[in-house]
Amino acid sequence: MARQSNLMVALGVLSALGLVASTFWDAPQINNWLFRVSTLIMLATSWNLMANAGLVSLGHSAFWGVGSYAAILSANAWSGSVLGTLVVALLAGALMGLIVAAVTGGLKGIFFAISTLALSEGLRISALMLPDVTSGAVGLFLRQDLRPSQHTLYLVAALAAVASVGVAILISCSKLQFASRAMRDNEAAAQMLGIAPRRQRMIIVAISSAMASAAGAINAWYGGYLDPEVAFTLHNTILAQIAPILGGIHTLAGPVIGSFAIIALSEGTRIWFGNMEGVSQMTFGLVLVVCILFLPRGIEGVMHRRKKRQATAGAASPALATGRGGKS
Amino acid sequence: MHYIPQLIVDALLLGGIYTLMVIGLALSFGVTRVINFAHGEAVMIGAYGAYTIALVSGIDPLLALPLLMVIGCLFGMALFKVSIEPVLKAPHVNQILLTFGIGLVLQNAAVMIWKADERSVVTPYAYSSFQFGEVFVAGGRLIGFGVALVLVAALFFWLRRTEFGRATRALDEQRDAAVLVGINVKRMYALAFGLSVALGVATGVILSFIGAISPFMGFHILVKGFAIIVLGGLGSIVGAVLGAFLLAFAETAVSYYVPNGTGWAEAVAFAVLFLVLVLRPRGIIGQAVAD
Repeated sequence: MARQSNLMVALGVLSALGLVASTFWDAPQINNWLFRVSTLIMLATSWNLMANAGLVSLGHSAFWGVGSYAAILSANAWSGSVLGTLVVALLAGALMGLIVAAVTGGLKGIFFAISTLALSEGLRISALMLPDVTSGAVGLFLRQDLRPSQHTLYLVAALAAVASVGVAILISCSKLQFASRAMRDNEAAAQMLGIAPRRQRMIIVAISSAMASAAGAINAWYGGYLDPEVAFTLHNTILAQIAPILGGIHTLAGPVIGSFAIIALSEGTRIWFGNMEGVSQMTFGLVLVVCILFLPRGIEGVMHRRKKRQATAGAASPALATGRGGKS
Repeated sequence: MHYIPQLIVDALLLGGIYTLMVIGLALSFGVTRVINFAHGEAVMIGAYGAYTIALVSGIDPLLALPLLMVIGCLFGMALFKVSIEPVLKAPHVNQILLTFGIGLVLQNAAVMIWKADERSVVTPYAYSSFQFGEVFVAGGRLIGFGVALVLVAALFFWLRRTEFGRATRALDEQRDAAVLVGINVKRMYALAFGLSVALGVATGVILSFIGAISPFMGFHILVKGFAIIVLGGLGSIVGAVLGAFLLAFAETAVSYYVPNGTGWAEAVAFAVLFLVLVLRPRGIIGQAVAD
């Protein structure tokens, strides 16, 4: 078992290095794919952090959108750099997360999901109705003189994706992980055990929201244009949940595997069906339905099961039942 | 202030349609405890069903309504059997994401079939209007309100007076006892779900002639529906009716009295939803929040 987890660590480090190194390779199409994979890894990891604590978010586009606006507005106002505005976006995201966690208090399950859904729609309409701040439906361009090289953005995205997974790993080794899992299973019992659910929830939601915000910020630099429909598009909410579900919910590797798979899938459908409207979203919907009904543990779960079967066949030992515990 | 009679009439008409829009959502949640994130898509499909029938055969949406509701009900029951029944005992996250995914599939199927453009069905009554003293009433809305009223009344009658209806209420109120007295839970679940889809379809048929329809309309309807049932109290059908009229009044008032009001009226639902969840999660007459 130890050898296997060492292998996993080695694979993880290698793919992280590979992702960062790839940005030095001048292949625009591949760079673009990996850029999208990187921001999706951040978004998916962020969603998974909340899901780990029993909080199903249907409003990740809200966090993403806030980060996008924070980045572009602060860049245009103070001629900020990518990293400078990334900090602004992280702070804006964390603040927003704190507010959401404070406001939603003890809401769980359906209620949390509904309030996040309403939050992203509410923000979209507010952005549309406050043109003095956001330029409304006309949209907002990043100042051309500020635009960094594409390579800088690929690199920032890759590093940020690695950092996000790093944060998720740190959390999985910390007390927060156990608190999250206890909260997911039974908040009242968690409280009895001396975990303060409200405080833990605020920390988790703030970290997760800051992470999604940062992804939105990097993407806004890359796109250079924002309007309320672009910033708060439901598409990001869908991507945020579908990648971890497909990859394997409540695991560290799941969101990463899922992000690669989803970008591959969306490119695949684009190549097969051209730009026919609705096809890629429809595929996402089907993936969601099929995964929930037939693959509730996602790709990671399938790989795990196969490995477990091989191991059991080889060693004929049933002592592997704990194999999954360390990861979830 | 001289708008007040007009405001009341507009809000009442809107409230009636909102009632029909959410009552199915409230019914299926009350019975199965699964909140259907694809309910908005049932409305959207109903609207396109009416549109297609009118386009192909020229049959008026109101005549097509019964047929579309029957199809909707059967489709809903089948969908329930195939997809929702297996996750009834699964964690909430699975139910939420599953119904969300079904909605996504239906929405994009509609994009592929009917394209993303806005459309509407033109009927003789759609653009007619009457004037009572100083109050204008749009004919389409009045007819829509009438149909909504009849359907909601029929649902209440069914729930109170028929065997199936009583069984449905029993499941809503005392699940374990209902099982003990021999109610076939799975069949009732499928029936309630099918009925809720049929009510959603009926809402869509009405919306097809009072405004523009598009494949993406379902999402806005869904969020509005949530605001209404959370406001009224999740799990209470009477609460849903109250919530529908309250939201209708709030939205109409905002669009009348706030500068740029028609734009902001769209945000009222989210503000209401957020406030209620924070201040009184059980809504006006709902039960305590359980997860």
